[in-house]
Amino acid sequence: MMPTAHGQSTAPARGDAERRASRRGVVAGLAWTSPWLIGSCAVVFLPMALSLYYSFTDYPLLEPPLWTGLDNYRGMMHDPTFWRVVRNTAVFAGLSIPLYTIVALVLAAMLAGRGRMAPIFRACVFLPTLVPLVASAMVWMWLFNGEYGLINKVLGLAGINGPAWIVDKDWVMVSMVIMSVWGVGQGVVIYVAAMQDVPGQLYEAARIDGMGVGRQFLHVTLPMISPSILFNVIALTIAAVQVFAVPYIMFRRPDGQNPVGHFYTMYLYENAFIYGKMGYASAMAWLQLVVVLVLTGVLLLASRRLVHYARV
Amino acid sequence: MRADKPHSYKGPRPSGVLSSVLLVVVSVAFLAPLVWMLSTSVKPEDQAASGEMRLLPTPPSSVFAHAADNYSAVWNDRTIRFPMYLRNTLIVAILGVVGMTLSSAIVAYGLSRIQWRGRGFVFFLVLATMMIPFPVLMVPLYIIFRELGWTGSLKPLWVPAWFGSAFNIFLLRQFFMTIPAQLDEAARLDGCSHWSIFWRVILPLSKPALAVVALFHFIYVWNDFVGPLIFLTDRDQFTLALGLQLYQSQAGNTPWNLLMAASALMISPLIVLFMLTQRTFVQSVATDGLK
Amino acid sequence: MTRRAALGTMLAGAAGFAALGPRGERFDPRGRIVLEYWEKWTRHEGDAMERIVDAFNASQDRIVVRYNVVSDIGQKSLVSIAGGNPPDVIGLYAFNVVPYAETGAILPLDELAARAGMSLDQYTPGVRRVMRHQGKWWATVNTAGSIALYWNRAAFRGAKIDPDRPPRTIAELDEMHRRLVRTDASGALDRVGFLHREPGWWSWLWAYHFGGRIYDEALGRATVDSSEDIRAMEWMQNLSRGLGVDRTARFAESFGNYFTPENPFLTGKVAMIVQGPWIANLINAFKPDLDYGVAPFPTETAGPIDSPVGLIDTDVLVIPRGARHPGAAMEFIAFTQRQDMTEQLATAHCKPSPLAKVSEAFLANHPNRGIRVHYDILRSDRSFVAPRTRVWQQFKDEFDTQVQRMWRLEVAAPVALARLQTRVQSFIDRAAERQRRRYGQRGTA
Repeated sequence: MMPTAHGQSTAPARGDAERRASRRGVVAGLAWTSPWLIGSCAVVFLPMALSLYYSFTDYPLLEPPLWTGLDNYRGMMHDPTFWRVVRNTAVFAGLSIPLYTIVALVLAAMLAGRGRMAPIFRACVFLPTLVPLVASAMVWMWLFNGEYGLINKVLGLAGINGPAWIVDKDWVMVSMVIMSVWGVGQGVVIYVAAMQDVPGQLYEAARIDGMGVGRQFLHVTLPMISPSILFNVIALTIAAVQVFAVPYIMFRRPDGQNPVGHFYTMYLYENAFIYGKMGYASAMAWLQLVVVLVLTGVLLLASRRLVHYARV
Repeated sequence: MRADKPHSYKGPRPSGVLSSVLLVVVSVAFLAPLVWMLSTSVKPEDQAASGEMRLLPTPPSSVFAHAADNYSAVWNDRTIRFPMYLRNTLIVAILGVVGMTLSSAIVAYGLSRIQWRGRGFVFFLVLATMMIPFPVLMVPLYIIFRELGWTGSLKPLWVPAWFGSAFNIFLLRQFFMTIPAQLDEAARLDGCSHWSIFWRVILPLSKPALAVVALFHFIYVWNDFVGPLIFLTDRDQFTLALGLQLYQSQAGNTPWNLLMAASALMISPLIVLFMLTQRTFVQSVATDGLK
Repeated sequence: MTRRAALGTMLAGAAGFAALGPRGERFDPRGRIVLEYWEKWTRHEGDAMERIVDAFNASQDRIVVRYNVVSDIGQKSLVSIAGGNPPDVIGLYAFNVVPYAETGAILPLDELAARAGMSLDQYTPGVRRVMRHQGKWWATVNTAGSIALYWNRAAFRGAKIDPDRPPRTIAELDEMHRRLVRTDASGALDRVGFLHREPGWWSWLWAYHFGGRIYDEALGRATVDSSEDIRAMEWMQNLSRGLGVDRTARFAESFGNYFTPENPFLTGKVAMIVQGPWIANLINAFKPDLDYGVAPFPTETAGPIDSPVGLIDTDVLVIPRGARHPGAAMEFIAFTQRQDMTEQLATAHCKPSPLAKVSEAFLANHPNRGIRVHYDILRSDRSFVAPRTRVWQQFKDEFDTQVQRMWRLEVAAPVALARLQTRVQSFIDRAAERQRRRYGQRGTA
């Protein structure tokens, strides 16, 4: 790239042209991506910086922020409600994600090779994922009603005296998990597609090795679709950590918040917009961000050994 | 949703009557909540409230009369004005969908069809923002929109869509990458600018992908609860999601049959849209999970 | 192709509806000042208030008031005030007054009210306590309320209890409750005498009927771990234990929503409830033949009959900081506080009027047969109001949570209350400390 004497070679000229082209490329690239670059500064990066700042302040809605250092973070450590929502959220994620994944895989395996009827089944399973959260909270509140809900009526036919699902502390989490499994359709569709991409020769080889249906699924299908599973599990984790609308609607009653149905983002929202503790809410939000990043990192690391990427 | 056709499935098929029966049972179980919603929505209040396990009201011939009663009661409610919320939701959806599709496509073009230094980094940034939980942005966004004087208007709900979203940019970029590079090279030899390549070559080839982005954003708007909850104060501005929640929380006064009718009204456009676009829809959801 | 046609039609329909569909009424103020008035009331309660608004709009030609129903009004108002775009008048709850006043969210009314010719002496004594804080006048009361015991006389007769003699002590209430509990063949509850969780809107008030309180305003201290508070919560736990936690939870799920004919007091599933005067509206609407009685809620030990214990829970009108037309807003408020207007509204809401002076006709024709009991509580020197601290919202949420756990017998009352005490006191102290750091010793905005 050193400048050389004129006429010695065409390299410098080409270098200039390249540089100009590359500069033009950068300008064009920045121009084309500018909607997102500008937008994300305005609605992602600036807000992140602001909320990091607020997290070190006491900031009631109506008064200016007051610097309080690490008070908010220290406060979280001594806040039993904080720990309760952390525990509830962790339990919800810990139960719903594995169950969702298992159900999705099983249904996908059942649907994958099912010829003409598959689209109809798939539509049935997929339809619930379209139902907006608010509407699905409404519908499930009615299904879960302890006295008149369809679920307890059906259980009653079998002679089982069903619980007050969304009130009883032992069943609140179960209700939440059931609802999340109802939305398994997306996972099913993703896994069915992934399964259809698995090359047929692999199964032939497995059959020649004498593998049965179950072992083919475990040793061929699962490893081959593991990138899809990983992606989906990460997405589910990010969503579960933020669960809000459904419990906000179902578990906030006139007689107070059901403590078992109290989740992290709900408490964050209450702090910000009901108690006017913007600073505390921001601290909670940053902790949530860190947790999401760590969980994603852990999943990616753990998957190194488990996930199989086809060499293409 | 790629240029190449997906392979068909060659793996083990759990066969036999048992698994067919199981599939039918599962399908019924997944649909039951929606069926029960519809059933409750066409019953009179007393029959609905008792939760009797009947699909139709007694006498069954009264079903149309009750359906008309309940749905018109919801539609014409004086305090919870669903027609107005529907309009607001549609405004947010339409303005948002147009902006989201266009901007995401433009950005995706910059990240796929132009070679430039820093492209990888920008793409990495785009991917990274997908992991940011909304609560981190919630409080400051409220304050920013407040400073702009936007709280209490629909702007906070649709203007950000014009910046594109990480997920949709990613989706479109992946699609644009599968379009052969010779196409735009040929166009460039004809003296076409990036803009006309984008407009005349890439967009026409990407209709299915664009449709998917539009569809996804439409559903997102229909579903969004937190955004409206935080940014809207004026009841005249409410969206359907917020209106439905209001209808339910309203000092706890709303009977179940009307709640179910309102829910059904909110869901129905999505179901119709799904039926009309099923193939694109399912295929596109499938591709999200890849790569 | 047909599919595409259908999609196109949908899209066109959607665009058409978005462009032309119904929007909020906008009217032409014709040169008048437009006041935005936010209120929480809907349906019959809202209709009654809208009639007052109409009367005001017709009474003069300079100001026009727009009535807007707002849900979660405390939270939405705070957000709009913080956003600098508040309405001119807000109808809040009494318990909002202190937090709003201390954070400078609402305007003091002393001068405005004096100019509008209003004075505090116009109001019933109990109501005045809600209006003032730290020596200033912050809110006016448009309908007054006090909380009492409502009992189902038919159920009393059925259980062989004298229907004319409501319980005067907690022990009597317990005894009647036991006699009123009824189960069906399978052992499931079919009727109970009393249930703390129905409607559960004031989970914290029991201590006051045991001679205690939950907050000492003078000292700025929570007092939820006092012996009275512990006795009150143990009483609640005993009742829950007697009924069976799970059985009661199932039973409570059979209750309809508040303003429906399935309300458990109307259906007779709960024979005694703690409620405000507005419940008469519900009874008159859905079950006018319900034979009910109204009495002050009993206390641990019988006290003087002429000064009953009871919660004063009223609705207030405030002018938010940043309101565009505070003078006009006050003029509207003054109109609503005229004796004929308060009585008209109070009649429609089945509540007492907030004013000290009421007409005989109002009392005689009142739709709530227990209206005099509600007045007795309003005038009583043993009545009480919600704790007056700026952290009340969180205080109450924490209290509700602990009450739910105690009700389900997950934790013993003294343990739960001791924890609650530490916790609530910590945010009272923190709020006070932040307030000092912000404004120095003065302590207010």
